[in-house]
Amino acid sequence: MTSRRDFLKVTGAAGAGLVLGLRLEAKPRLGETVKAAFQPNAFLAIRPDGTAQITVPKVEMGQGVRTALPLVVAEELDLDWSKVEVVTAHPGPEFKAMNTGGSTSVSTTWDTLRKAGAAAREMLKAAAAAQWKVPVGQCRTENGFVLGPDRKKLGYGALAEAAARLPVPKDAPLKKAADYRLVGKRTPRIDGPAIVTGKAVFGLDVRRPGQRFAAVLRCPVPGGQPKTWDDAKAKTVRGVTAVVKVPTGLAVAADSTWAAFKGRDALAATATWDEGAAKEFSSAALEAKARAALTGPADDARREGDPAKALAAATKMLEAEYSFPYQAHVTVEPMNATTHVGADTAEMWVGSQSGNRAQERAATAMGLKAEQLKVNVPLIGGGFGRRLGTDFSTEAAQVAKAVGGGPVQVVWDREDDIRHDLHHPATLHHLRAGIDGAGALAAWTHRIAGPAVLRSWLGGQKAPSQATTEANGAYDIPYAIPAIAVDFAEVEAPTPLGWWRGIQIVPNVFARECFLDEVAHALGKDPLTFRLDLLGDRGIVKFGRDAADIRRLKRVLEVAAEKAGWGRKLPVGHGLGLACHAYDGRTYAAEVAEVSVVKGRLKVHKVTCAVDCGLAVNPAGLEAQVEGGIAFGLSALFSQITWEKGRTVQTGYHDFPVLRLGDMPLVETHVIPSAEAPSGMGEPPVPVAIPAVLNAVFAATGKRIRKVPIEDGLI
Amino acid sequence: MPAYQLTVNGRGRTIDADADTPLLWVLRDTLGLTGTKFGCGQGICGACTVHLDGRAVRSCQTSLKEAAEHAVLTVEGLSKDGSHPVQKAWIAEDVAQCGYCQPGMIMSAAALLKRKAHPTDHDIDEAFADHICRCGSYPRIRKAVKRAAGGVK
Ligand code: FES
Ligand code: FES
Repeated sequence: MTSRRDFLKVTGAAGAGLVLGLRLEAKPRLGETVKAAFQPNAFLAIRPDGTAQITVPKVEMGQGVRTALPLVVAEELDLDWSKVEVVTAHPGPEFKAMNTGGSTSVSTTWDTLRKAGAAAREMLKAAAAAQWKVPVGQCRTENGFVLGPDRKKLGYGALAEAAARLPVPKDAPLKKAADYRLVGKRTPRIDGPAIVTGKAVFGLDVRRPGQRFAAVLRCPVPGGQPKTWDDAKAKTVRGVTAVVKVPTGLAVAADSTWAAFKGRDALAATATWDEGAAKEFSSAALEAKARAALTGPADDARREGDPAKALAAATKMLEAEYSFPYQAHVTVEPMNATTHVGADTAEMWVGSQSGNRAQERAATAMGLKAEQLKVNVPLIGGGFGRRLGTDFSTEAAQVAKAVGGGPVQVVWDREDDIRHDLHHPATLHHLRAGIDGAGALAAWTHRIAGPAVLRSWLGGQKAPSQATTEANGAYDIPYAIPAIAVDFAEVEAPTPLGWWRGIQIVPNVFARECFLDEVAHALGKDPLTFRLDLLGDRGIVKFGRDAADIRRLKRVLEVAAEKAGWGRKLPVGHGLGLACHAYDGRTYAAEVAEVSVVKGRLKVHKVTCAVDCGLAVNPAGLEAQVEGGIAFGLSALFSQITWEKGRTVQTGYHDFPVLRLGDMPLVETHVIPSAEAPSGMGEPPVPVAIPAVLNAVFAATGKRIRKVPIEDGLI
Repeated sequence: MPAYQLTVNGRGRTIDADADTPLLWVLRDTLGLTGTKFGCGQGICGACTVHLDGRAVRSCQTSLKEAAEHAVLTVEGLSKDGSHPVQKAWIAEDVAQCGYCQPGMIMSAAALLKRKAHPTDHDIDEAFADHICRCGSYPRIRKAVKRAAGGVK
């Protein structure tokens, strides 16, 4: 018997050892009741040979989930880490929470995984106690063994079958943090050995018997369609087997990727296009519209006090315009998916951050039900939000169906990847600060104008939460200011948009933290003291759906500043800058950047970061996320996507630069010890990196940079 | 159409493909050696780095014709079991994030250390100037190269 409150049961046949099925699911939405009988969607198996297999219900894209989540189970269960094998779950109707994004993997699964590990541990102990005929209280576990009185010792493998016949305990006791031996220690990534030997399989490495490769010729203007074409030349390319029309363009299938690319290029030379609704789109026109929207109507994201009155009464007003460009994801592994269409089933291999949506939409595209399509998620060569999109998986299904006959891998090249990215849109920001007669910051307004990611994501609909989503990072400004107005003025843009590492928080926190720095300097105050004073003596403060603990934010700010030697004497031409943010009220990050500007050339020497993300499950992985997040932020200082005649001007890494090793600063990470439940670390280091650096540029040079990317010679 | 002979990871191979086929696709699609990655096909990201007679080259910019009669080493051939000093250092420093760029990085590191047993920071900057890691594993790459220094014969 299972009830809907159960989340664990013994599954698996005799001889399989102890197999616990567990239910990992996104929390039911408000008002949603869970009626279905218990259906496990993740498994924890102790095999008779003593090895353990753990299903990870999230996808690995470099953030370390395939290490961090099993660590949580292994900790409670006292597993021998060297005997742990990790498999990635398959999305399906039974498992609807493969969605991996928003830095939530650890926080949403932590509780269930711990409880599953603890339950299995108690079952193994009970099995040993029964065999030894001793009270279970005399048994304990250690590194894959149950230990009993008189040096009795049995491996988990030997106990697994007996344990599987026992009832699953409710509320098995959880370990105390002080007893952890895996969680909180530095554990190297479990996929490391496969990666360094080239054995790791990413989506693009999937090879099925009889597999073909396909490239799609798409209109350079997103949404455009081919009008005329001649496939004769393409078909003479050695290896090309088919040229077919698909909804996104023209697909060329071949027996190698290269032949598919060559065929596609031959076809391109003959194609004419109906460029569609986006054909006149340009960055210049969008910017003009956004600038007009800075003074037009807008949707409130937050309104407190009477900002208009406070500004009118101010003895001094500061204002500035900030600007952040379109950005691309440019994961090093370009988009791809491999599909094998059978008679009434199909299988797909796709590095998707939204396995469930990918499954549903690809199945629909092939005229199948979701359960008729098996989806495998290999390792992902970089996600950053790009692979939350299902455009490439749906297209791959359409291509496979159109060309027929066996598995087909659709490969995007770098230009496809940049041109047909789900870009993160440009925004303009207008900020005003009103200073009262006592020299205090009395009013703050922040108007954001730009396209709405959420609307694009919802297929053109405006959600009630649009303004707060687009103003995330701006509306939750953590400083105590009597009058605050943050609003979002939407500007239409015709091309598809998507989430990006750090989402809208990146541009919004850039504008917010840089402008706050301007205010501090205008008032002759030290930017650190100014922030600490404005944070004040407050505890938990609510901002819309989020609440942030201001004490935790202050603490990271203080630690980062102290460790970076805030206020110390610097070499000529050097400067220190700082910024902080409470990310969705869950993860607190502050960064201090040390930069120099010599002959106009910016060098970021060091970034000191303090983070509080609750309990750090794997500090090694966490530090990697900080280093990577900072690299991602710094990269954005120099990159942009611009539009002309409906197409991106940029076509590759040559004109959309990514930070290189030689430009990577030293990164020093300080993790605030915490007993709070773990939050997330994939994104929070990104948004603070940009303002920390630009505030440091100001400290070094007196030059205020309000526009990203930094243009040549501007500093 | 002539077939081309080349040695890949110590093994002689005969490849029947067009002369202009990039070595990258010969490795990945013809020989099934998918450890060498495709990132840009433009010679910019370094994901496709292999050794040609011991030198690091971009396999996406090296044609089959150019590779013919030469010795190609890919990440799969660097060691049988991950025991090459660079691979060991990569594990010790826990370099990989998504891991996609790493085979290329490792091949460049191995070539660098063969050329120069104890590279300076500047040497390391130069050796990786044409490599991209979007995940930002750079600090650990530098550490791993230093850890492996002196160990590559
Ligand atoms: S794939 Fe060869 S350099 Fe990028
Ligand atoms: S580890 Fe992901 S691109 Fe380098």
